[in-house]
Amino acid sequence: MDTELIPVSVLTGFLGSGKTTILSHLLRQPEFSRTAVVINEFGEVALDHELIETSEDSVVALTTGCLCCKVRTDLTQTLQDLLRRRDEGACTQFNRIVIETSGLADPAPILHALMIDTALAGRLVLGNVVTTVDAVAGEVTLEREAISRKQVAVADRIVLSKLDVTSGVEASLRSRLTALNPRAPTLCATYGRIESDNLFGAAFHDPKTRVLEVSSSLAEAPEHTHSDHDAEIKSFTVVRVEPIQAVALTLFLETLAEHCGADLLRLKGIVNVAESPQQPAVVHGVQHVFHAPAWLSHWPSDDRTSRMVFITRSIPRQWVEVLLDAISAEVTDVAGNH
Amino acid sequence: MSRLSIGLVHELITESLAAWHVAGIVEQTSDCAIVIGAKREIRIEPAQAGSMFRWTVTIDGRTRPAISLLAVLRQVRGALDPGYAVSRVRVAVSPVVPS
Repeated sequence: MDTELIPVSVLTGFLGSGKTTILSHLLRQPEFSRTAVVINEFGEVALDHELIETSEDSVVALTTGCLCCKVRTDLTQTLQDLLRRRDEGACTQFNRIVIETSGLADPAPILHALMIDTALAGRLVLGNVVTTVDAVAGEVTLEREAISRKQVAVADRIVLSKLDVTSGVEASLRSRLTALNPRAPTLCATYGRIESDNLFGAAFHDPKTRVLEVSSSLAEAPEHTHSDHDAEIKSFTVVRVEPIQAVALTLFLETLAEHCGADLLRLKGIVNVAESPQQPAVVHGVQHVFHAPAWLSHWPSDDRTSRMVFITRSIPRQWVEVLLDAISAEVTDVAGNH
Repeated sequence: MSRLSIGLVHELITESLAAWHVAGIVEQTSDCAIVIGAKREIRIEPAQAGSMFRWTVTIDGRTRPAISLLAVLRQVRGALDPGYAVSRVRVAVSPVVPS
């Protein structure tokens, strides 16, 4: 059995801040070919693991809830399972583990769990904590969401994402990040691209120091439960078996952006577009900002349904459902009239 | 046959008011219009055949056309929700299907 300590890095950041995009990019780099990935999603349907294109068999999706809450034990169990599979030769001999947290996760309890679990202590060592911050919506998010401030505060590296949709980073955002975490270097990502050496390749911090940092963070929130997240934050998934016409999808996204604004914390989906049956579209939206759909080269699985995961504040699911139905029907009518 | 029934529009308007936290009663009339009884009286009906618009929206007696349901929702919310300001979506230029 390989006795070399395996670094576990944590990739965190608020909903829609670009974690999955950056991870997808990193996993395509040769130096990341032996990376095991644990993905935690806060939603009914796990999508992130389908959006990450990797040939590895060591991607694990944890969908039972938020890592930092009730499934902390699930995380340690998952890591133990990964190590067992590695030892048995049942998966790639990975030399690195990256945990992508849900966007609502407090990373501090996760780091705490990684460090105090005796079953893991002899095999794993805590690597860098990388926190993504949306260069467009980041300042508003930091203002509104206490958890996002915590995510920044515990970071070893801060990655400003989405520089491709903004002309620059506001000085006030940089100041805010520096105030929250003066130690962490701030890096920039464009279209999810970033120098991997700058992220996870650095030497690890002194574990004793990290324990102190985590302890300090825990002291700020002695009891972390899901009610701490925000009682109004809800996650639901809109599923459609029938393909959605491209124009209907566009109008649907436009309506959501217009009427939901900051209450649409996150939309992430894979969509079967009628005009492109072999290549699904991946849609991403955060508050007012929607990215142009990205087109996958092929379906990641046999499931051809459109699945859009919403994380919202006070937006009723029924409204979203009927909105999509009505817009689709209208687009069909217009197309039929021509 | 139209896939967009007036019943679906009725449901959409009803759910929209709930989503926007706007009080009002939404009713479907026998002549296939939707009437919203709120702080302002609003009537939504299909546009005349041959019109380039799909809907007309009458708010307190003033009628305006709407080219789509998205435009209808914009008008209705603008009339009923004083805090509403249209926030345009930001989407990078891209083909709607793979190029």
